[in-house]
Amino acid sequence: MSTTVFYDRFERHSHGQGLKGHATHYCPGCGHGLAHKFLAEAIDELGIQNRTVAISPVGCSVFLYYYFDVGNSQAAHGRAPAVAIGHKLANPESIVVSYQGDGDLASIGLAEIVSTAQLGVPITVIFVNNAIYGMTGGQMAPTTLMGMKTATSPHGRDIYMGKPMKMAELIAGLDGPIYVERVALFDAKQRNRAKKAILKGLKLQVEKRGFSFIEVLAECPTHLKMTPEETEKWVKEQMQPNFPLGVKKDLTPDPWFEPPKPSFEIDQLLKVVGASSDAPIRSAKGFPSHIAPHDIAIKLAGSGGDGAQTAAMLIARAGINEGFDATHIPSYGPESRGGTSYADVHVAETEVLNPAAPAPHILIAFNAPSLAKFGPAVKAGGTVLYDSSVIHEVPKVAAGVRVVGVPFAQIAVDLGKAMVKNIVALGALHAATGIFPKETFLTAIRLTLKDKCALIPLNEEAFAWGIKSVEEPAN
Amino acid sequence: MPQVKERPKPFLFPEFCKGCGRCISACPKHCIAMGEEVNPMTGLVPVVLDLEQCNGCALCIDACPEPYGLQPTPAEVADFELQDPEKLFGLRHTEAPAPVDIPDEWIPLPACEPLVIKGNYAAAIGALLAGCRHFFGYPITPSTEGAELMAKFLPKLGGTYLQAVSEVATVNHMYGCGGAGLRCMTFTSGPGFSLMVEGISYMIGAEVPGVFVNIMRGGPGLGNIAPEQSDIKLACRGLGHGNTHAVVLTPSTPQEMLDLTLLAFDLAFKYRNPVIVLGDGYLGQMTGKVKLPPKMLKPGLPSWAVYGDEMHRKNLISSIDLDEHDLELHNLDINRKYEAMKSEARADLFMCEDAETVFVACGTPSRMAKGAVEDLRKEGIKAGLFRPLTVWPFPLPQLLPLLPRAQRIVVVEASPGQLRDELLLALSQEGISKYPRIESVTHMGGILPQQHEIMAAALGRQEALQEVHA
Ligand code: SF4
Ligand code: SF4
Ligand code: SF4
Repeated sequence: MSTTVFYDRFERHSHGQGLKGHATHYCPGCGHGLAHKFLAEAIDELGIQNRTVAISPVGCSVFLYYYFDVGNSQAAHGRAPAVAIGHKLANPESIVVSYQGDGDLASIGLAEIVSTAQLGVPITVIFVNNAIYGMTGGQMAPTTLMGMKTATSPHGRDIYMGKPMKMAELIAGLDGPIYVERVALFDAKQRNRAKKAILKGLKLQVEKRGFSFIEVLAECPTHLKMTPEETEKWVKEQMQPNFPLGVKKDLTPDPWFEPPKPSFEIDQLLKVVGASSDAPIRSAKGFPSHIAPHDIAIKLAGSGGDGAQTAAMLIARAGINEGFDATHIPSYGPESRGGTSYADVHVAETEVLNPAAPAPHILIAFNAPSLAKFGPAVKAGGTVLYDSSVIHEVPKVAAGVRVVGVPFAQIAVDLGKAMVKNIVALGALHAATGIFPKETFLTAIRLTLKDKCALIPLNEEAFAWGIKSVEEPAN
Repeated sequence: MPQVKERPKPFLFPEFCKGCGRCISACPKHCIAMGEEVNPMTGLVPVVLDLEQCNGCALCIDACPEPYGLQPTPAEVADFELQDPEKLFGLRHTEAPAPVDIPDEWIPLPACEPLVIKGNYAAAIGALLAGCRHFFGYPITPSTEGAELMAKFLPKLGGTYLQAVSEVATVNHMYGCGGAGLRCMTFTSGPGFSLMVEGISYMIGAEVPGVFVNIMRGGPGLGNIAPEQSDIKLACRGLGHGNTHAVVLTPSTPQEMLDLTLLAFDLAFKYRNPVIVLGDGYLGQMTGKVKLPPKMLKPGLPSWAVYGDEMHRKNLISSIDLDEHDLELHNLDINRKYEAMKSEARADLFMCEDAETVFVACGTPSRMAKGAVEDLRKEGIKAGLFRPLTVWPFPLPQLLPLLPRAQRIVVVEASPGQLRDELLLALSQEGISKYPRIESVTHMGGILPQQHEIMAAALGRQEALQEVHA
């Protein structure tokens, strides 16, 4: 049968000049030509020439794209299956063929082929196994037979070089693939089977059923240093016992591959990213310049469960809702996993220049080490708020720093939820510094909890208690 | 025609026969034999056919590895040996149409309130607004959050999130998806980016667009996960083997994480080249105010794509070119693109008009430098911040006007001098030998230069200058 899937003229083969316009670059008798032909015929038979994307590998078949009149993509060594997945997911209607040799697939590309096979996305892999590296000049391949002499196993492959890889069996052992068969080209019967297998592998993809893998035992007369006829015999008599032919796996699951189509709907996108046109209610009269003229630095410090980061984020959100600029950075590095949790917050009238707060105007400390560490760094005239239910000793602070103890944790426990101690702290921050009006904080809290409305009353109560304990200290 | 069912016998152009003999053993009727004459055009010995016994079984045709080797004899052809195979077989396939660009479409967005989000989050939103619906990635701290966000968002937008088996697979997924003409991206960090540069070289060679957001961390080796500007050199000078460059963007605020990721996709498709966005862990985690742009992109499909449809059947994505002349021409084309990319150099200037002390910093260290500039101004020192938004190409045209007035340049960076090297290279490539002394404030290992250190460096030098003048 002749096929129309090969180019009329191989323009990419030395610009199609002379005989190269109609002859392959393969050596006489090379199995690649046959595998190409059967693939081309299958594409023809299924009527998928327009939809096909062929991935060329690195190796002798690197120039697959010289011949196939389909969409072509040439991959890095071993990566053809990964490239194939990129194409398939970009256009699920495309029919993607990853064509690879044994060095490409069974050595450098092992991770790609195994993971792609397991992924199970419908693509078709044609694996040409001729037991040797062709293009680089006859070196040992992962599929080279034991005892076989190659350029890099000049005394024959021995046990120190490991045994040949049986890829069809390996791939069939995975859950992803639906069809795995090993075929050969050495006589008419085998060629007929090879044709059918390639056709079937493609058909399963067209039907959106799954991943198929066809291993083709092929002839490399050049590096076996035999005539093509001897090579056919060698594949039959030497290779075949090592690589048993036949179907290794054959399932026909229901068609399933129908990924969704990308959406560019504005409303959906805005919803997904959480954007809205609703302006938040603004309550502040202006920038709280009584704390600092244009830019207020706040540090919150505690241990992991104290909620310092959430409180920090709420302050930043409150500032931004009021039309100011604000930043929040959590402490960074391994210490954040060791149980301590620091956050730097800035609220600036127009722009936060430096988001770090090594010398803050305000410190909120949830435990004694945090207070000891950062208390002395608070700027003169600043404010320190600390959890007096767990901290009993206050370090020396700069002149004019106001130090306020509030039993954040105790209040939260009394409210029945230890977690809200950070909200108690925010109440205290409001009362002690007047940074933002009460409503500003409450709006930020409500916005943040909009998906957990049930928690809002408790948080509001915690906030109120924070205010109260600054305004009317218990003792 | 009386015998409708008669099967065609094979025929062969001797010049397309490689003389492999595979057809000989395939023929049950022994119609084919090894030839004896060397074909003068090929230097090979084609087989000879004697078709008297031939029953048209076609087994020989099936055994022939050459596409234009043994063929069934076309019905009406008599003296086929004189003909060209193209004409002999008539029009052999449907001609694929010439591909055309399906244009992108910008869709206006309603005015929205600013978001209060982290830098990583902002970059992910930037990608969505740029029309990216395909994400490939491998988890690595401190970039993972970006990938997690895409995993959360994309299914809600009909997009695809694929966790690759490695960074090597990631970049090759991008090669495929970008090669199909779609907008795709990854989030990664230093060690992962190292693994991707092989594929980036292929993307550059094959002219495949894609966006890489590298949230840099401490190195070398496993290093740590704290913020370092460790990959400026790799991104500017080391994108794999061969003649490689890509625009390298350096945001320093969550807002810029969004804006520059959006820009990255534009540039990637404008130049058919990867684009790198260099962030750091500090910036990725930083929450700030982020405004959405006025429009978002609904991507079209470029004419060069290998999309897997009729329109794009002619196309090829490939970086191999055996012909030395062709490959040199390709490199010259690439160089012209690099030259054109120089027009994309961008910088942000803060109080630079009269600056005598010019800080050069990008990314998070530029925030500390910005704070320092303000405080130095309060001390009466004419400091300014020159902040490259692209480190490749380095925004030298924007820097040059500042040089006559500058008494010194202080490079502030969280790396041993990778940004300073880019500055020096840019100056030397322009042949500029007169520039103020270049000093550095650097930290490594995940420590960022602090504002007080930057100020001390500036003040110390200022005092030294004053002493000289006195
Ligand atoms: S070296 Fe071997 S595999 Fe490569 S083209 Fe020649 S015969 Fe085929
Ligand atoms: S068609 Fe059959 S009989 Fe005729 S030459 Fe070919 S293999 Fe022999
Ligand atoms: S199989 Fe084809 S290439 Fe080989 S000898 Fe026969 S006609 Fe020639």
